[in-house]
Amino acid sequence: MISKIAWRNVWRSPARSLVVIGAIVLGVWALVFTIGFVNSWVIKFVENSVSQEYSNFQIHEVEFKKDSEMKFFIPEGDKLLVSLQEHQGVIAVTGRMKSNAMISSPKTATGGIIYGIEPSDEAEVTRLDSAIVDGYYFDGIRRNPILIGSKLAKKLKVKVRSKVVVTLQDINGDITAASFQVAGIFEVMNPISNESKIYVRRSDLSRIVNLSEIHEIAGLTNPSGDDEIIIPELKENYSGLQVEGWKDLAPELDLMLGQVKIQVGIILGIIMVALGFGIVNSMLMAVLERFKEIGMLKAVGMKGRRVFYMIVMETIFMALVGGPIGCLLGYITIEILGKYGLDLSRYSKGLAEFGIDVVLYPAVTPETYPLLTIGVVITALVATLYPARKAVKLKTIDALHKI
Amino acid sequence: MTIIKGENINKIYLETVVPVRALNGVDLSIEEGEFTAIVGPSGSGKSTLLNIIGGLDSPTEGKITVAGIDISKLKESKLIDFRLHNIGFVFQSYNLIPVLTAKENVEFIMLLQKWPKQKMEERAIQLLDAMGLSDKYHNKPIELSGGQQQRVAVARALASRPKFILADEPTANLDSKSTENLLGLMEKMNHEENATFIFSTHDQRVIEKAHRIITLVDGRIASDELHTAGNHVR
Repeated sequence: MISKIAWRNVWRSPARSLVVIGAIVLGVWALVFTIGFVNSWVIKFVENSVSQEYSNFQIHEVEFKKDSEMKFFIPEGDKLLVSLQEHQGVIAVTGRMKSNAMISSPKTATGGIIYGIEPSDEAEVTRLDSAIVDGYYFDGIRRNPILIGSKLAKKLKVKVRSKVVVTLQDINGDITAASFQVAGIFEVMNPISNESKIYVRRSDLSRIVNLSEIHEIAGLTNPSGDDEIIIPELKENYSGLQVEGWKDLAPELDLMLGQVKIQVGIILGIIMVALGFGIVNSMLMAVLERFKEIGMLKAVGMKGRRVFYMIVMETIFMALVGGPIGCLLGYITIEILGKYGLDLSRYSKGLAEFGIDVVLYPAVTPETYPLLTIGVVITALVATLYPARKAVKLKTIDALHKI
Repeated sequence: MTIIKGENINKIYLETVVPVRALNGVDLSIEEGEFTAIVGPSGSGKSTLLNIIGGLDSPTEGKITVAGIDISKLKESKLIDFRLHNIGFVFQSYNLIPVLTAKENVEFIMLLQKWPKQKMEERAIQLLDAMGLSDKYHNKPIELSGGQQQRVAVARALASRPKFILADEPTANLDSKSTENLLGLMEKMNHEENATFIFSTHDQRVIEKAHRIITLVDGRIASDELHTAGNHVR
């Protein structure tokens, strides 16, 4: 009967209840959208940075990170590549030659980083082939094809099939140079990469610098595996080399991810608190309006505990109506935006500077919905404690004035 | 059998600017099955006395014993329990639960007392039928007239067979016909169920029906008369 009274009480003032339910719906929807938006924006940014830039792990010769000279190659790097390819926790791995270089076009010259790669391995790890915005991924140019970043191409004023000269030190420290022809122009999310990186075939670079070894191994771990287990294992197995996970390579990304999670937590907290205050206000009104009625209930023998449950139940009912509707609306929004994308092209220039996709595809994990509903119910429960306590503390005689 | 015994009941309201003495050494005793009216001018202490008898307020001084229990010493939660099991209330402004139907309102006290469902329903229907509300079981208070609402309130007060029923100006908001009807029903219940009724009232029609009339003036009992077949017996 108490729950029946509570449920009917919810609907005795439909306008007020609908305002509370509406606030809950809006709050839950905002929570779902915020989480989806942040997932698509920041987490995607970190994921893209990991997959396109750093990979889950990188291996170098210990001295190479301090002084990236040709001579600091990974001893027997190709053997190591093979053993990593056979590792269960590793899904793709690539070996690279890497060096600083000067890139010159007929118009100008600039510094950059040259990578000598196995095109198919690199495509598996960094999806570099899908980043080509003009030309082809090493196709169409027979001798010394080169891929350059879009910003670098602009800077050098070159286009597909243009020739550039790359100058660098060989294995003996002597300056050497070779002419390359632009096969493709790539554009990745990181604008610095677009401005500084060039890719050539490993065999071509090997010939120019008289070195058949690699300087860098980059790999992706199995998504179902755990980096926190696999990376330490690799570090232990290859203790003579410098093995780094993406958090070591880009601690700022980990920090950013942590900070964003805190910020999302704060936003969620603010939304919940705002929702809580709305509920407190509304339920307090409901209690004050029913001052005399609650007094009558206590007069005829309804204990404070039952009055408390009745008020709490009214709020929980509203949360249980509003929460799932908010989740449903949030789900529909996320599904639609996840399919068609949220086009932020108006701000694309600014976003691209930060390496963020211009079309975002919000996504929310399924467990988020029940967790949010539980969170809202708990918020409603906490928010209703004060009005419910007020009802319990009500002096029967004051409420009734007289029997 | 004496069910209410008040000894030297004093009530002084100290919260007011000037302390107000509402009851001044009231002694009274009410027997089971009485149909008693407490009358008196405004400010005479009728409502205060009813509040104290009903365990809604406590005396500043004195002792009130209801069904052998000194209720002036009970704590709030015990008092609520006591009221639930011993007292039926009829309020001036009906005070039904607006979201419940007439039948559910009558069942409410029995539900708090954890009556079996079937027994509870039978009793509610019996009382509503006795009150002439056979066709109003499923109507909410807003769908009933004032007289009908007050009859539901009386049925609610009687439902769990309390020791006595306190009614504060029960006819104050009713027209003549409804008043007549309600008084008839309460008298009937007094006879059939031996229910003890204690009213506070100004209404001459109620006073005429009462078997005993206690008149309060300035917080004291000015007269206490038995009233049978239109004659006052001191």
